[in-house]
Amino acid sequence: MLNVIVPRDLYDKTALTGTMGDEKQVSSTTFDTDANQDELIMQQQRRIEKEISETTALVGDLEGLGMLEDEYAGDDVYCQKVHDLAGKYKSMRRTRPDGNCFFRAFSYAYLEQLLEDREEYERFRDLAAKSKNSLVELGFPQFTVEDFHDIFMEVIDHVGKGPTFFSQKELHKMFNDQGYSDYIVVYLRLITSGQLQRDSEFYQHFIEGDRSVADFCHQEVEPMYKESDHIHIIALSAALNVGVRVRYMDRGEASEVIAHDFPEGIHPAVHLLYRPGHYDILYP
Amino acid sequence: MANIAAQRIKREFKEVIKSEEVAKCAIKVELVNDNYTELKGEIAGPPETPYEGGTFVLEIKVPETYPFNPPKVRFITKIWHPNISSVTGAICLDILKDQWAAAMTLRTVLLSLQALLAAAEPDDPQDAVVAKQFKENQDMFRQTARHWTFVYAGGPHKNSDFELKIRRLTDMGIEDHQARVALSSYNWDLERATEQLFS
Repeated sequence: MLNVIVPRDLYDKTALTGTMGDEKQVSSTTFDTDANQDELIMQQQRRIEKEISETTALVGDLEGLGMLEDEYAGDDVYCQKVHDLAGKYKSMRRTRPDGNCFFRAFSYAYLEQLLEDREEYERFRDLAAKSKNSLVELGFPQFTVEDFHDIFMEVIDHVGKGPTFFSQKELHKMFNDQGYSDYIVVYLRLITSGQLQRDSEFYQHFIEGDRSVADFCHQEVEPMYKESDHIHIIALSAALNVGVRVRYMDRGEASEVIAHDFPEGIHPAVHLLYRPGHYDILYP
Repeated sequence: MANIAAQRIKREFKEVIKSEEVAKCAIKVELVNDNYTELKGEIAGPPETPYEGGTFVLEIKVPETYPFNPPKVRFITKIWHPNISSVTGAICLDILKDQWAAAMTLRTVLLSLQALLAAAEPDDPQDAVVAKQFKENQDMFRQTARHWTFVYAGGPHKNSDFELKIRRLTDMGIEDHQARVALSSYNWDLERATEQLFS
């Protein structure tokens, strides 16, 4: 009991005795005890995020794989894998490591291709247009879903103008505008969550512990900055019917960068490079 | 896309105003300044809780990065609750921290806070003293919370016994709120509260 009471005791005493010189020290330590620790942690996180955002674009420029070779110079395991990767891919595009990188990398790479592929564009636009109602039916608040859907469709409609009227350069600009870019991420998070919940019986097996699929979605899918795992990729690729190939580059034994296709057996439209905790875009 | 936060708050503001909860006087939100960065919220204490009949005022600060980050919310009205600091009004609620999602709104926040008043989570406390009392002496907790609701939130239940004890301390020159905090913290044991205040 005493342990718990101590901070309040100090607090009260300082307030009672007023601001006498010596007491000030006490009151400042006490204030820390009362300060919202979670809030302090969040503030620090924001600071780190700010630092990252000042040094890395949301989606970077196209670059050769030579940069990766330089990055890992002297590291045999990685060098071997970069070499293997360079035989399979021409170039890459980095994304900001802010926990949203999978969603951002995926949508950028995919929409970029839709600029050139009319047929696939029409299919996707139709699916995207219908997605709002199915989210509302699942119980997402209409008001916010509409907000994100509107912006999402605005971006898709731009892409629909085709490469002559809406260039790759403008798409790049949009993805580096925090507003548009984050709206796209949010909407894809909602679509992913919707897919998980719609097919919850299947996805339940992938979730550790006794969390329900809905809990998992509220905690790991819908909030911004939450990193993506296999389950996110499986659900999003299933929801949009778009194949994703992820190349894994880690400290594993193999000299190759192992590929995983989501879902298996369909031609991957999007290629991503995974290094522990982060996704970038790859170009074959 | 400049100023997403303000745009979004403007729309939400209308949403809350039109909502049925406002019609039932359960929640309310008002502008504090013209640029939509600061708002004042209000929630009614839920029925069949010690907060029933009280009105609780909230400070809502909207960050530039809203809705991608949560609004900063704290209680202005003093309240006795395990997940709310009785000193600063700071709130321990997951959706105001890492469980926030951009699809949520001010309305979600106000309704969640109302739900928090109805179902405290003493194992994840913001105020350790209140949480301890909640776990060890549920009846004392309810009486204390009801008393705070009466004094600070305009609740209907006066507690003459508590008032009398506070009077004993204020007669000794202790400030009213100070006396209430000490007594509340010591389960309204006048002797122990006095000891603590004068030690």
